[in-house]
Amino acid sequence: MATTTATITLSSSDLLSDELALSTTATLTTAGTSTGVTQASGLSRKTLTYGSAAAIVHTALYRAGDYTADKANKVYIKNTSTAATEYFTIKVGDEALGRLYAGDWTFFPWSATSGTKETFAVTIAGTWAAGETWEFDGITTTAANTTAADIAAQVSAQVYPNWTTTVSSAVVTFVARYAASDGVITSNTAITGDTLTSSSGTAAISGGTAGAGSSSTSDITIIPSVHTGMTYEAMLIHE
Amino acid sequence: MATTTASITLASSDLLTDELSLSATKTLHKAGSTVGLDQTTGMTKAYLTATTQVDIFPTLIEGSLAFAGKSSWVYISNESEDETEYVIVKVSGNVIGKLYAGDFLWMPWSMAEDADSDNKHADIQLTPSVATGMWLQWCMVNEGTEYPTSV
Repeated sequence: MATTTATITLSSSDLLSDELALSTTATLTTAGTSTGVTQASGLSRKTLTYGSAAAIVHTALYRAGDYTADKANKVYIKNTSTAATEYFTIKVGDEALGRLYAGDWTFFPWSATSGTKETFAVTIAGTWAAGETWEFDGITTTAANTTAADIAAQVSAQVYPNWTTTVSSAVVTFVARYAASDGVITSNTAITGDTLTSSSGTAAISGGTAGAGSSSTSDITIIPSVHTGMTYEAMLIHE
Repeated sequence: MATTTASITLASSDLLTDELSLSATKTLHKAGSTVGLDQTTGMTKAYLTATTQVDIFPTLIEGSLAFAGKSSWVYISNESEDETEYVIVKVSGNVIGKLYAGDFLWMPWSMAEDADSDNKHADIQLTPSVATGMWLQWCMVNEGTEYPTSV
């Protein structure tokens, strides 16, 4: 087990009439135990630059869906800017924690509560001919033969930008990579964005997430105050 | 103007194959300036004996200067020595994370008015995991706070 410590020191000789000298050290352990955390994202450093102020968007630092919820995760973020007026707004879900001005750093726990990932199934059925296609998420699968299970396996073997897949016989189950309310699934049986080119074969949709997906309530995002280039450093220590 | 510094060191010789030895130090300034923060709540030490959610900075006025993008820094630590005990930290009802025994946080606090109009105006809320008593400490170093007129 790893031993990782975080030490904070707050000091001032003139904020109060008495000296402020606080120092606390925490050994980072997994939730509810004395076992040290063993995973980390590593310290990352990135400059965010946009074409104009109007083009500034939220940047996801850490997506809750990528981590186990409700654990003793810890987040470190620093604004490396040297211009006193430049700041990053730090958000957890929709909630703005605060601003990191030039040189500021923050260290806080993170529960990583994800939302609901959309999911649905596609059943390959009917009569397919080799060369017929099914397209979804920008990926086209071309049937190599007429066997439904083989075509389903082909569909599942593709790498989709926004979905992961599993296959069982002629049924391919799609699960969104990220929790979001994109509305790809609009009901239990409807889907947007797929294209079937087969004279008599079908790629029926079923089992869609009722009510569609929902966005994570705790993705950590940052927004720079200027578009001309601001650099942050960040690290996630997690379990 | 006061000079207050906040430093952190993250250290481990075995979390990674390379040694982790990260340090950062920052003087606390008023928003967008190099003028030091000059107000503080002082350190509160509290013994919470219920799993009821509490608002640790309850006296801020909605719509005051405190909400106008000022700089505020919050320190919270869980002084429990029982590794299973934690406190849930929320901002305006949204869970940020859990502080287990010995954990601390240091975070900026915008005190933005709440978009949901539920009058929480970015309250920082703590909920202990047990009712058998937990020691907690917190303080804020800030600018711009206004207190409500007594009724």
